[in-house]
Amino acid sequence: MIPISVVTGFLGAGKSTLLRRILRDPAWADSAVIVNEFGEIPLDHDLIAASEESFVSASTGCLCCVVRDDLTQTLLDLLRRREAGAVPPYARVLIETSGLADPAPILHALMTDEALAATHVLSSVVALVDALHGEATLARHPEAQRQVMLADRILVTKPDLAAAPQGAIRALNPAAPLREATHGAADPGWLFAAAPRPAELPDWAARHTAGLASIVIEREAPIPALALTLWLQGLAEHAGPRLLRVKGLVALTEQPDRPAVLHAIQHMVHPLEWLDAWPGEDRRSRIVLIGERIPRHFPARLLAAIEVEVAAAGH
Amino acid sequence: MTPPELRDLLADSLALWEVAARPQVTGTGIALTAPDGTPLSILPAVAADLPVRWWLERPGQRRPCTSVLGLLRTFRNAVGAGETEARRLRVARPDV
Repeated sequence: MIPISVVTGFLGAGKSTLLRRILRDPAWADSAVIVNEFGEIPLDHDLIAASEESFVSASTGCLCCVVRDDLTQTLLDLLRRREAGAVPPYARVLIETSGLADPAPILHALMTDEALAATHVLSSVVALVDALHGEATLARHPEAQRQVMLADRILVTKPDLAAAPQGAIRALNPAAPLREATHGAADPGWLFAAAPRPAELPDWAARHTAGLASIVIEREAPIPALALTLWLQGLAEHAGPRLLRVKGLVALTEQPDRPAVLHAIQHMVHPLEWLDAWPGEDRRSRIVLIGERIPRHFPARLLAAIEVEVAAAGH
Repeated sequence: MTPPELRDLLADSLALWEVAARPQVTGTGIALTAPDGTPLSILPAVAADLPVRWWLERPGQRRPCTSVLGLLRTFRNAVGAGETEARRLRVARPDV
């Protein structure tokens, strides 16, 4: 039986950072990874260092809604490829849900599919909670509440920035063991150990915050660093708490041969990380923005206006 | 930025702030009526006005704006959307 662990947590909680760190550990590198992204273009594939063959990106929608029916098929396809020698003999499957996924329907699919039950077993559900934004996120978003409620283990991330929102977490899940981790430095043995599980859990219907949407911006021409900074400032200032996540691979005018990895969680932007090279032939800047009730064209129009202004100023 | 492009950006901004107003192109600028009934105009500045890039006019008042972000900030106040949800960008420490 191949164990499956589900890694969930709201946007920006640190799921990809955790997985990236775990997969760097030789003891855990023999993991197949299925990543679901809410955005219309997959980016995490380029950012998580996983074996190409055993990495599956499901980016056509939210795993708990659109892709759920495909999850079983994806797992069984992966198993067939493993048995045919087309992918390395992985010891476990790690599923990273979208930050906007309600894990309940995913767990239901994993626990009730007969074909899957013959070969796989749900081992653990790990929910990440961001110490900095967690309390507000848990108060505002039903997806985040369900992620914590259904977790076997809870990992509080960024504890160096703020105290863990213990009250909010325990109100939702009084019993799950809880640990803290900085920069994804958590013990995978603890995270992914088999957890006792009731045969049946109530209420599988997915719950979502109203008005959430992802917006994609693609740019052929490199973007001046100043324009990118001003754009992020404008988004933070005008979208406020409705801006949940910005991530992307960006070609900056100042260094177009090396893509910059852009991460922003609400109004907190992380310093750019630089990849050594573009992961493929596509060298366009690709930015995914996730927010609540943000007009679809606002981010692109704002960026275009700022780019014109920065160019006119001679930058 | 052409007047239609500016109109579209301002219309999106109004939608984002949940303000019911409709900007319209008038010659080289944009005109609209704020929810409180105040007529507003946004006009591009001429080259001699640099660093001013835009003027936001209302009866008896003419505000200079030196950037599109400055224009949006001034415009937001002019339509009464305030800054209740405004946030300043913060930079996380490396590897946080």
